[in-house]
Amino acid sequence: MRPHAGAPMSRRRFLSLSAAGAAGGAAALSGCAMQVSSGVGGGSGETVTMMVKADDITPDLVQQALKDTGIAIKRVDFDITKLIAMLTSGNPPDLVRGVGAVDAAYFAAREVMEDLDPYFARSQVLRRDDLDPVNDLWRFDGTTQGKGPRYGMAKDFSQDSMYWYNTSAFDKQGVSYPAELEPTTYEEWLDTAQRLVQRSKGQTSLFGGTYNGLLKATLMSTLTASAGGSLFNDDFSRVDFTTPEARKALGWYIEYCRLKVGASPILPDPNGWDGPTYQAGRLAMCNSGYWMGGMIATDPKLAEVSRLAPTPVFEGGPRVSACQAGTGLWMPKKAPHKDAAWRIFEWYFGEAPAKARASGGWGIPTLKSLRPLMPAKAEHQKRVLKVQENELKHFSVVAFSPYTTGDSFEALFNQVAPAAMKGEISVDTLAGRLNSVLNEQLKRGKEQVG
Amino acid sequence: MTVDQMSTVADRPRAAATAGRTRSAERPRSTMTARRHRAFYMFVAPWIVGFLLLTIVPMAYALWLSFTTFDGISPNWHYVGLGNYRELMNDSVTWDSLGRAGLFALVSVPLSIIAGLGLAVLVNRPLRARGLFRTLLYLPAVVPPVGAGIAFKNLFDQNAGATNGVLTFFGFDAVGWLADPYARYVLIMTVLWGAGNIMIISLAGLQDVPRELHEAARIDGASSWRTFRSITVPLLSPVLLFQTVTGVIASVQTIMPMLLAPIATTGGLTTVPQSNYTYMIHVFSQYFALGRYGYASALLWVLFVLILIATGLIFRFTSGVVFYNVDPEAKK
Repeated sequence: MRPHAGAPMSRRRFLSLSAAGAAGGAAALSGCAMQVSSGVGGGSGETVTMMVKADDITPDLVQQALKDTGIAIKRVDFDITKLIAMLTSGNPPDLVRGVGAVDAAYFAAREVMEDLDPYFARSQVLRRDDLDPVNDLWRFDGTTQGKGPRYGMAKDFSQDSMYWYNTSAFDKQGVSYPAELEPTTYEEWLDTAQRLVQRSKGQTSLFGGTYNGLLKATLMSTLTASAGGSLFNDDFSRVDFTTPEARKALGWYIEYCRLKVGASPILPDPNGWDGPTYQAGRLAMCNSGYWMGGMIATDPKLAEVSRLAPTPVFEGGPRVSACQAGTGLWMPKKAPHKDAAWRIFEWYFGEAPAKARASGGWGIPTLKSLRPLMPAKAEHQKRVLKVQENELKHFSVVAFSPYTTGDSFEALFNQVAPAAMKGEISVDTLAGRLNSVLNEQLKRGKEQVG
Repeated sequence: MTVDQMSTVADRPRAAATAGRTRSAERPRSTMTARRHRAFYMFVAPWIVGFLLLTIVPMAYALWLSFTTFDGISPNWHYVGLGNYRELMNDSVTWDSLGRAGLFALVSVPLSIIAGLGLAVLVNRPLRARGLFRTLLYLPAVVPPVGAGIAFKNLFDQNAGATNGVLTFFGFDAVGWLADPYARYVLIMTVLWGAGNIMIISLAGLQDVPRELHEAARIDGASSWRTFRSITVPLLSPVLLFQTVTGVIASVQTIMPMLLAPIATTGGLTTVPQSNYTYMIHVFSQYFALGRYGYASALLWVLFVLILIATGLIFRFTSGVVFYNVDPEAKK
C-alpha cells in the first residue's frame, strides 16, 4: 500500500528507501565493515568503535585498553550528525559519548539505547550499590528521567550550579567572601557581582560573575527547582515559564544578563566559555562545579586564591544542587560488539582510567568506592574537598524532557530571550513566547516518540 | 534529350567517382568522430557521475525529506505533503532570516565588487613592487574562513580587541562589535577582507582590455574617469556579471556568521547574534539544533528556487548592459 500524507511510516521502511537513495553507497560501504559479536570471553580480540571526543580517550589509553582487556579501540570523533547517520544505517558505534542530563531520556525514548541493567547485574567491576546517585541521570522509565533501567553511566561529575570565586578580586573591592558551607541567595550573588564588576569606557576589566549553567535547558530547570517548582509538567510534554517559580528563575537570569556583570547571550565570552577569563584573573565569580578545579590546579597562584562555593538558593526556596551534565557513555541497541563494548565500559568506568580521573581532580568519581582518590594533599585541595563533600548532601536529579534535546532548547531560548535581556520586552512577555516556541518543539517531539 | 538532361548524364561518371571517394573518406572520418565522442564522454564521465551522486541524488533525497517530519532518529515520522512548505510560508523567523541574507547580499556583493575592482585598477598600474602588492592584497583571500573568523573575533573583541584599543586610545567608548547590532558590520568587513579573489579576476579582465582603445580615447581627449566608465567597465561587464552572480549565490549561503560566533561550531550556532542570523544559519539551526530534517530540507529547496530566480533576474536585467567582446552564441 502506498503511503499517503499523514500516514506513519516505519523507520525500517524509511531506511530501506534511504539506502536505495543517497545513503545507499555509504550504507553499503559501512555494511562491509560490520562484524558480528562473538558474545564470549568479554570480547577479547575484538575491535570496539567508540564515538567520543579526543579528550575522552587519549591514544595512550587506547594502548592501555588493548593491554588490559585485549580489546582494540577505534575512536571516531563525536559528531551528532554522523551518529544519526550511523544509527539510521544500522551500523552504530559500540559506545557513544553523551551528556546524561539531556541526552539519556531523549535517546532512550527513541529506543536506540541498550538497556544496561542485565550487564550491571552481573558485573563485578560496576556494582549497583557502588554507583553514585548521579548515574541516575542515565535512567529512564519511559516517562521520567532518574527512574527505570540504566542506559549509560557518567564518567565523572560536578554539581554544576556551584561557583568558584577569586579571593583577590574580592579583597581588591573590599567585598566579603561568601560563606564556605552555607549558600548565598541568588539575589545576593547578583548584588555581589555588581559590586565586583569593574568597567571603564565601555570595556570591562573585571567581570563580577558569570552564571549561565551548562546549557540553558539545565540552567532553567535547575533554577526553577531551586525556586521550589518544576519547569515541566508531569509527563514532560510541556514547559510553563509563567508559574511563579519558573517566572522567578527566568526573571533572575534575565536580570543577570541585563546587568552585564558577566558573559551572556548578549555579552558573549570570546573564548566560547568563561574558564579562560577566570584563569586570566578577569572574572571574580565563575559558575562551574568541582571539575574546574582540575584546570585551576595547573596554576598554583590561581589555585591559592580560588575557592569553591555552594550552589545559591532562592529566598525561601529549597537547596537544590544538581548535576547539569553527567557526561558519559551509552551503548546503542544495535551495537555490533556488545560484549566487548561492555568490557571496555567496565574498564573505562571502573578500572585504570576511572582511577586516573578520580585522582586528577577534574570531576567527582561516579563510583563511591573511588571517592578516597580525590586529591586532598595541598591546602587548597582540602578546602575544596570540604565544600564539595558538604554539597553532595544536597544532590538531586532534576529530570529533563525526553521530547527535546538540550541543543534545541538552547537554540529556541537564544532566539527569543535576547529581546528581554536588552529590555525590549518584559519578562512576562518572554515567558509567554518561550512557552509558545518550546511547547511547539515538545509537541513535535512527543508525536515522533509516539 | 534536353541540355539539362545531357549535362546530368555527362556528370554521372564524375558524380559516381566523387561518391565513391566520399564513402571511402567518410568511414575514417566517422570513426574519428566516434572516437572523439567517446573521448568526450570519458572525460566528462567522472564529473557526470560526481554530479549525479553528489548533487542530484542528495537534492532528490532532500526533496523527499522535505515532505516528511523526519528528525533523523525518531521512529514515528510522517509524510506531511507540502506541510513543511506551508509552515515556512508562515514562519516569521524564516522570512526575517531570508531578509537579512538578502540585505547582506545587497550590501556585500556591490561593496566587494567595487573594492575588488578598485584594487585591481590600482595594481594594474605600472607601480614599483607591483607583484608584491598583488600578493599582499590577494593573501587574505587565501586565509581559510575559520582562520579569518578567529582573526576577526580577536580584532573586534570588546575588551581585548585592537579595534576598541584604537577607539579608547582616542577617547571613544569601546563598542560591542561582535554582539547586536554591530555584528552585521563585522560580517560585511569579513567579506571585504576577502576581496582579493575579486581583484584577481578583475585584474585578468583588465589586462584583456585592448590597449589601443585606451590610447584612442586619450588622443580624443577623454579623461581617465571617462575612459574607465566608457571603455574599461563595458569591456569588463561579463566579468562583473560573473562576479555578481557568484557573489549573490555565495553571500546568501554564507556561514561566516557562525565562524564569528563565540562558539564557532555547529553546536555553537545558537550563539550567533540576531543581526547575523541569516537564512543559512536558520537552516543549520533547524537541521542540527532542532533536528528538523524535513523542515530544513524544505528551507533548502526554497533557497535553491530563490537563487535560480535571482540568477535569472540578474541575467534578464543585465542583458542590455553586458558587452561581450566575442559573441557567446556564435557557433564554432
